Formats: sequence, structure tokens, C-alpha cells
Amino acid sequence: MLRLLRSEIYRLVRRWMPWIMLALIVITAFVLYFLIWASVNAQLQAVKSGAIPAPPGGTAQFDEALREIAPDRVAQFGVGIVAGLGSVMLIVFAASHVGTEFGWGTFRTLLAHGASRGGFLFSKAVSLFLYAVIFMVVGTIAAIGASYTVSAVAGISPGSGVDLGQVFEVAAKSGYTFLPYMAFALAIAVWAKSAGAGIAAGLVVYFAEGLVATILISLNKDYAQMVNWGLSRNASALTRTATSVQGQDPSFATLPDPTQAAIVLGVYCLIFLAVAYWRLRSRDVTVGS
Amino acid sequence: MLPAVTNEAHEVVLRTNGLVKRFGSITAVDGLDLEVRRGEVVGLLGPNGAGKSTTIGMVLGLITPTAGSAEVLGRDVRARREDALAGVGAMLEVTSFYPYLSGRDNLAAVAILRGGGALSRIDPLLARLGLQQRGGSKFRTYSLGMRQRLGIASTLLADPALVILDEPANGLDPAGQREIRELIRELAAENRGVLLASHLLYEVEQVCDRVLVIKKGKLIASGTIAEVTRGGSSYFEIVVADKRRASEVLRGLGVKEIRETPSGLDVVADPERGAELNRTLASAGLYASAIVPRASSLEDVFMELTEPEAPSAPPAS
Repeated sequence: MLRLLRSEIYRLVRRWMPWIMLALIVITAFVLYFLIWASVNAQLQAVKSGAIPAPPGGTAQFDEALREIAPDRVAQFGVGIVAGLGSVMLIVFAASHVGTEFGWGTFRTLLAHGASRGGFLFSKAVSLFLYAVIFMVVGTIAAIGASYTVSAVAGISPGSGVDLGQVFEVAAKSGYTFLPYMAFALAIAVWAKSAGAGIAAGLVVYFAEGLVATILISLNKDYAQMVNWGLSRNASALTRTATSVQGQDPSFATLPDPTQAAIVLGVYCLIFLAVAYWRLRSRDVTVGS
Repeated sequence: MLPAVTNEAHEVVLRTNGLVKRFGSITAVDGLDLEVRRGEVVGLLGPNGAGKSTTIGMVLGLITPTAGSAEVLGRDVRARREDALAGVGAMLEVTSFYPYLSGRDNLAAVAILRGGGALSRIDPLLARLGLQQRGGSKFRTYSLGMRQRLGIASTLLADPALVILDEPANGLDPAGQREIRELIRELAAENRGVLLASHLLYEVEQVCDRVLVIKKGKLIASGTIAEVTRGGSSYFEIVVADKRRASEVLRGLGVKEIRETPSGLDVVADPERGAELNRTLASAGLYASAIVPRASSLEDVFMELTEPEAPSAPPAS
């Protein structure tokens, strides 16, 4: 099994896709920090020069928006950028990482060379987990770098600087919430023998399930009892404590307990991997698969 | 602990016992027993859909048999798949590798999976299969023939006792096909057992020590090439101008079958009846330019054995 994992990593580091995704998250972090500063600063200068009227609260809201760029806000703002983009990218990657093996016919080749089906799934799951960790670390470092760079360019005070412990705790919790979505995309890719199916199903669940949960709770708070067993509510419960954005979520009060949320998300991961294994184990591998 | 594996000549490296595979109501393989020994090349023949690839799939543990078992070096493939396949190198009908990796990197990915010195065999194998110049090129740029060669190279990474090749000459030019035939004989000379599934009957005739002919999943003939072709019919190729009259005259001799050809007739009859055919034609004033005795080739026998049954006559109304 470990030889299969080594082979998996050997192939992974020679594929363009993971490197392109890392490059994208780094570039995006810098571009977004710069664009936000440029946009807010342009409005601020326009107000100061009288080109546009000042908003009711004066320029304080612009100043507050610029403060988000400061290094002491990376845990909330920078990691949020990485998590927002990273979740989608990692779902796509998880489905592609597994689904392409069926499309290329290489799953059959691996089995013919002695790999076991359980070993195949193990090596895929472990390599995906390792990649997600690397992705979050690189993305978080990029956000820190972007924050310092743009703050220096814009003359924004770094405040108390980056609290690395807090930043990486938030990043770890955010990354953890992606895992069940990745496992779900993997399971669908295995079931359908298709990367496209895994990507589509993963993204639909990622975006739609949270929306449905929010709508149901806004209709009746009692629905929280039901939707709190879903993925999005438990992911929100975990990241809520991480980012402390209390009050932004109208259904905040009904979120599950963070410890329970972590357990529920972990159980979902295991269930999705078990489903993938069951499907893989019972399937005959013929020329078309 | 693994049982001791010997390199003893003629050791059975592959044995299947009553292998059966049903897909719903279709029986793809029906009670197949076969054996491959070290040092021999066994041809697995059959028309499309006969069950060759399904049989290979079951031997490799890719397909779960409905009944029966397969053993490699005495190890049951279902119960101890990884141990059993450690001694097998297999190339499947469709050669699939990672398109973004070079040929060498693809072999390295398989070699890491195989372990045990397989990495050190990559360069010698690339050279042996004539791929050393293109080893660094991406697999997606390979021609069909190069893909087949890479597939064959991958089968030898683990220094296997049993090599399974499913249509290895697909996409190869005549020179390439000859090289592969020579390679297959070399593999047998290295005391490996080789199971070769192929549609190229000439190739099989050239390299196989024994053949197994399967039809609708059942073994219908087996033995050496000589044994299998002996069961087929021998015939005389007769070059004669008046084919119609010659056919009428010879029909009176009670020969088994007469087939018209562009140059004359093919007459299916026992080999010792050549003189009789000649005399009968001459007596009727028909002089043959040539009467050539022909033995059935493997292709003739294969066609006889595997030709589809004639559709049954509709019931009389």
C-alpha cells in the first residue's frame, strides 16, 4: 500500500494541475489584496477630493475596509479569500485526481500491476489530504505575503502584525471543512467513473446545500434540527468559531456545537470513502472501465 | 509467509480450475481449465467475444469469477491477489498509461509500485523494446506501436514468472511484429511462462508451443499446433481449366467437399488419394496443370472450429 502511495505522489508532483492550482491561489491572493486596496483607496480619494459625495458615516467605513488589508486581519480576511477559492479548487481537484484514472484507463493498468482496490483508494485519499494541507499552507503564506506587501505599498499600519498561531488555526479549520466535500466528489467520481460527474456533484452540493439550509431555517428555526446534520451547517459552525464573524449569519444562533460539527464532518468523510470503497470493490474492471 | 517459488523448468505458473463468469444471462466464460508452464508460450485463441479478455481479467483479479479459481505460482488470485500478481507481468488489450508522463516516467511509476529492483530495469527494458530514443517523450505523443512496446516493457519490470500479453502486436508494422515474436520466444527461453491472446493466427503459429481455442467461453480445442491442425481437413489444390466438368467427375469419387477457386478447385480428401484424383481426371480427358496436397493451417482449423452455427431452419408451418 505504501508503494502505491509513493507511486501516487511520484505521479502527482509531475502533473501540471496541482502546480497550476498552487500558482493560482498565490497570484489570486496578491491580486485580490491589491484590487481591494486600489478600489477602496480610489473611492476614498474621490470622496476626499469632493468628486463624489461622502457617505453618511463619513470616510470611516473606507478606513475600516482598508484595515482589513492589514497583517493583523489575515486570519479573518486573507484566510477567507484562500478558503473561498480553495474550497472550489480542491473539490475540482479531488474529482479530477480520481476520475481521470478511469478516463485514461490507468486504474485498470494499476490493478493489472498488482495494486489493490483498497490501496488505490487509500493512496488517493492520503495524497488528496496531503495536497489539501499543502494548498492551505501555501495559500495562507501567500495571503500573509500579500497583506504585508500591499500594506507597505499603501502605507497601512501593520497593527500588531500576523498572529501565526491564530492564522494557521483558522486555515486548518477551514481546510478541515473542505475534506467531506472532497470525499464526496471522490465518491461520485468513483461511482460514475468520471471526473466531470464528481466535479459537478461536488460543486452542486457545496453551493446548493447551504442555500437550502439557510432558506429552511429562515422559514422556521425548527428546521435547524434537521439541516444541522448536513455538511454546510457543520462547516459554518467550525469556521464561525475560527473567524469570529458572529452576527453575519442570520441563522448563527442555531448552528451546531463546534466539537459536534468537527465529528459530524469527520464521519461524513468516512461514509463517503466507505461508499467509494464498496463501489470499487464490487466492480468488475473490463476494457471499458 | 509466501510459499517457496522455484524456478524449476516446466513448473506450472498459471492454472485455472473451472473458471466461470456470467454477466447477467450471458455466460462469457464457461468452466475453463487451463495451465501455463514455465518455458512455454500458450496461445489463447477465439473470435471476438469468445471470452479471452474476460479470462485474462479473472486471472488478474480485475473481474470476479462467478465460479472456479485461478492460481499463479500456486497462489489463489482471489484469496491472495497481491502475492499472486507479484509474479505476473500483464499487458492488457488497450494499453493505458498517464498521458502527461514520459514513457520512462510511466515505467518508473509502475516500478515504484512493483518495488524490488524494478527501477533498475527501466533503461535496459527501454533499450530492449527500442524505446531508448523516445523514453523522455510524453506518452500522449506515442504512436500505437510505441504504446504497445511500452506496455510490453511494463510487463517485464517485475521480472515475472508469468507474462500475459493480450494482442501485443496491435498497431505494429511487420518488422515490429517480428521483433515482438522474437521477444516472446526469448521470454520463454528465459524460463517464463507466456499466455498470448492474439487474433494474428500467423503470429500464434510462429511462437506458441500450445494453443487453446475458446468459443463462447468454452474450450473447444487445445494442444500443440500440430495436434490442433491434425484435426483439421487436408485438401488438394487442383489447377484445371474446366472446373464444372472436373467437379462433376470428382464428385463421383465420394470426396468430402469441393470448393471452386479462381484457378480451379480445392478438393477436401484424404492425403493418400492424390493419385486417384489425378487418374480420374485424366480418364475423363481433363488434364490438371497442378495437383498440390495442402495441410490445414491453424487459420483453416480456427475458422472451422469457430465459424458461427448456421441459423436453425424455421419450423414448418
